[in-house]
Amino acid sequence: MTFGAMAYLAYRAIVAHPLKRLLRQRGTGEARFRAAYETEGLAPTTEADRAIGLEAQACIACGLCETGCALAAADPAIRALGLHAAFRLYGRNPAELPLAAGALEACAGCTGCEALCPTGVPITRVVGALARRAHGARPGSPREPSPSPAARDP
Amino acid sequence: MTPTPGLLEVDVLVIGAGMAGAMAALAARDAGATVAVASRAPGATALSSGAVGVAPDPTASPDEPLAWLRAPVEAARRLAARRPDHPYAAVGVAGLWRLGEALRFAARQLEPLLAPPLERPRLLATPAGNAVRAALCQRSMDAGDLLAVRGPLLVCGFAGHLAFDAALVAAGLARYTPRGGPEVGDAEVALPFDDPAARPHELARALEPPGAAERLGEALRIPAGALGAGAILLPPVLGLDPAARVPERIAAAAGMPVAETLSDVPSVPGLRLHAALEARLRVAGVARVTGEAAGAPAPGRAVEIGGTVVRAETWILASGRFVGGGIARRGALVEPALGLPVQAAEGREAGVHLARRPAASLTVRDRRAPQPLLSAGLRVDAALRPVDDRGRPVHPRLLAAGAVIGGHEQATDGSGLGVAILTGFLAGRAAARRGA
Ligand SMILES: Cc1cc2nc3c(=O)[nH]c(=O)nc-3n(C[C@H](O)[C@H](O)[C@H](O)COP(=O)(O)OP(=O)(O)OC[C@H]3O[C@@H](n4cnc5c(N)ncnc54)[C@H](O)[C@@H]3O)c2cc1C
Ligand code: SF4
Ligand code: SF4
Repeated sequence: MTFGAMAYLAYRAIVAHPLKRLLRQRGTGEARFRAAYETEGLAPTTEADRAIGLEAQACIACGLCETGCALAAADPAIRALGLHAAFRLYGRNPAELPLAAGALEACAGCTGCEALCPTGVPITRVVGALARRAHGARPGSPREPSPSPAARDP
Repeated sequence: MTPTPGLLEVDVLVIGAGMAGAMAALAARDAGATVAVASRAPGATALSSGAVGVAPDPTASPDEPLAWLRAPVEAARRLAARRPDHPYAAVGVAGLWRLGEALRFAARQLEPLLAPPLERPRLLATPAGNAVRAALCQRSMDAGDLLAVRGPLLVCGFAGHLAFDAALVAAGLARYTPRGGPEVGDAEVALPFDDPAARPHELARALEPPGAAERLGEALRIPAGALGAGAILLPPVLGLDPAARVPERIAAAAGMPVAETLSDVPSVPGLRLHAALEARLRVAGVARVTGEAAGAPAPGRAVEIGGTVVRAETWILASGRFVGGGIARRGALVEPALGLPVQAAEGREAGVHLARRPAASLTVRDRRAPQPLLSAGLRVDAALRPVDDRGRPVHPRLLAAGAVIGGHEQATDGSGLGVAILTGFLAGRAAARRGA
């Protein structure tokens, strides 16, 4: 472990944590968890999030879903790595998820991707759930969770 | 309210629309049967390199002259003799005898896409710079056959298109020069449009409109002239739609033969193969059903797939392996469509009991050793009927074709699409006989 990392841990243990304990307001477990960790980008995972994550894991990164996808063209990272990067990269990193909110929103909900996926990843649902989580996790976001992509379609 | 499901009565129901399912359907249709094909999504066929591997030659030595390549059918025979669990062995001598006929049938069915078969395999470059033998290939790949290139071969990449490393491919192919392969050089040209970061399928589409392929061809004249090249090898993005004739147009503008390499995933040639099979099924008058067969009963009984009720006396299961979804890992290995017994491993330890173990325990440490997990699948008799753990056919009119049949590591052993074509063809013909 580097000196920097040791110093950071010591700071957490000796200064930050006791201060937080002194100053914290009582609340539900979740509220306290959020107060303590959300600023660091660690949002609590719900049962539903986990189920979505498991479904996304069936992805074998084959790229078949990309042909004709609006989202895949929306963001340089997704563009370079393929549509599955939308959930492979962002799905695993709650801290950076809010940064992807704009890109995830580019999903037109056309469901064109799903019929092409050999392993049956419910892509629209995974992307929709990530987009909702991204907006929910953005500090101070006034936005309501977006309706399901299908419902948004005219 | 659920919609009233339609009822579809046909002679033959094929589950799966990859190479095996499509070949089975087309062979049965061609022999006069009425056929329906049900599938959930594209399978491994759409991810393949786009060329048909029939068999590596197990007896070839690594430094013999390239021209000694054995014919695909002979290589398959040698493979069958050494690997008693391989589908080429399972179909028996009489079945394997028809491999040449099956390959010619496939080439005819996919006529606009595939180049006519030769007696010998073609030797084609991969994007990693290896040469692999292909029994059938797309027309876009034909001019890259290392045994047919006259003069030096120029491997040319596109500036900014990082998925293809021309220098790496050229260095790889230069290893074959002493064995009779062409001299190789490499270069890079700019694309005739300003988006080299595009994904392979986007590049392929961008080359289709009038002018794009022509401008690329003209740009290629400079490096090709410098090398005195006899042919040019490009990344596998030469158009999504073969009707756009992208390779031909580039070749005309460059003034010499042009080919693309085989592809990794995402595979534009694989997408072309998938599209060509779908188009052929439509033209041949095969009914298409989209949906997943799960817990299906048995041939002769009605089965509901994606809202359509299908009744057929003969079923052909061509549902692929792990990618297609024909074999799934749910703790242990299962066959989800009909719940048939899965067999893992080759050789003496083979058996259903192995397949019942946790899937993760079916891998071995040595990466070059055969992996029981990867060759897991159904076991079939010589008539391609899946058998139970005592070797008896599960049902007299249930057949299997393609990668759902175990005994070969379909994605890596160089025989995947060849097995799909042979077993699909045999199953389709057999099913049509029974239907008559
Ligand atoms: C990445 C990769 C590269 C490869 N490259 C090559 C190559 O270069 N050359 C070569 O010869 N071979 C190659 N192979 C192997 C070859 O692609 C496969 O062996 C071959 O495509 C198998 O064809 P198939 O028709 O049996 O299965 P698939 O093509 O997998 O088709 C299975 C079909 O069954 C459908 N299905 C499955 N379950 C159900 C169900 N319950 N209900 C309805 N439909 C269902 C699927 O949706 C799909 O349509 C490669 C394989 C992979 C994975
Ligand atoms: S539903 Fe969204 S992710 Fe799927 S193809 Fe359409 S835009 Fe792309
Ligand atoms: S088609 Fe499915 S498996 Fe392939 S990259 Fe897309 S989500 Fe992943």
